[in-house]
Amino acid sequence: MTTTRTARRRNLSVAAYLVLGAAIAVAAWIGGSWPLAVVLGAFYLVTGGVLFWWAGRSGDVAALLRASGDERQRMLDLRATAVSGLAMGAFAIAGTVVQLARGEDANPYAWVCFVGGVSYAIGLAAFKLRG
Amino acid sequence: MKNRVRELRTALELSQGGLGTELGVSRQTVNAIEAGRYLPSLPLALRLARFFDTTVEALFELEAEDER
Repeated sequence: MTTTRTARRRNLSVAAYLVLGAAIAVAAWIGGSWPLAVVLGAFYLVTGGVLFWWAGRSGDVAALLRASGDERQRMLDLRATAVSGLAMGAFAIAGTVVQLARGEDANPYAWVCFVGGVSYAIGLAAFKLRG
Repeated sequence: MKNRVRELRTALELSQGGLGTELGVSRQTVNAIEAGRYLPSLPLALRLARFFDTTVEALFELEAEDER
């Protein structure tokens, strides 16, 4: 991967991180919690800057940001993502079960389970087609 | 799976980082391959063999538990 392409991907990754942070901060603001919004905004700004600087100097951090990474780093990222997905799925299922047992509304756990199941089926079908 | 990557690399007096640069992978990946903790993909295995002017079969050795 060329240096220019790596730099472009790093910029995109950090930009996406900052946009996500801004969305969360704005949501907190809209929800009426402006001190939290300010703290969150500052947190994402500072950590975004640190990640941008660090990714330029460390291949491992750049790989975490998906700005670069060899085949092994991509495999590690994929496996870690799968473990994270499984953990979140298990948590959503447990939440659904507990809520139902309590006779309460199972949302949003049930919706998370639904999204997880559908996205898994779509992913499986797509990757099977790709070979 | 055993391999001769470390043996061939040190014979050339090349560092892990140096080999990684030649192959387009990180030093950590070279280290993981040499330690047997990571099996390279076929393209990477072929690039390794080509770099050391040998064959993939000469570079990597199937162990008993890898045989099917």
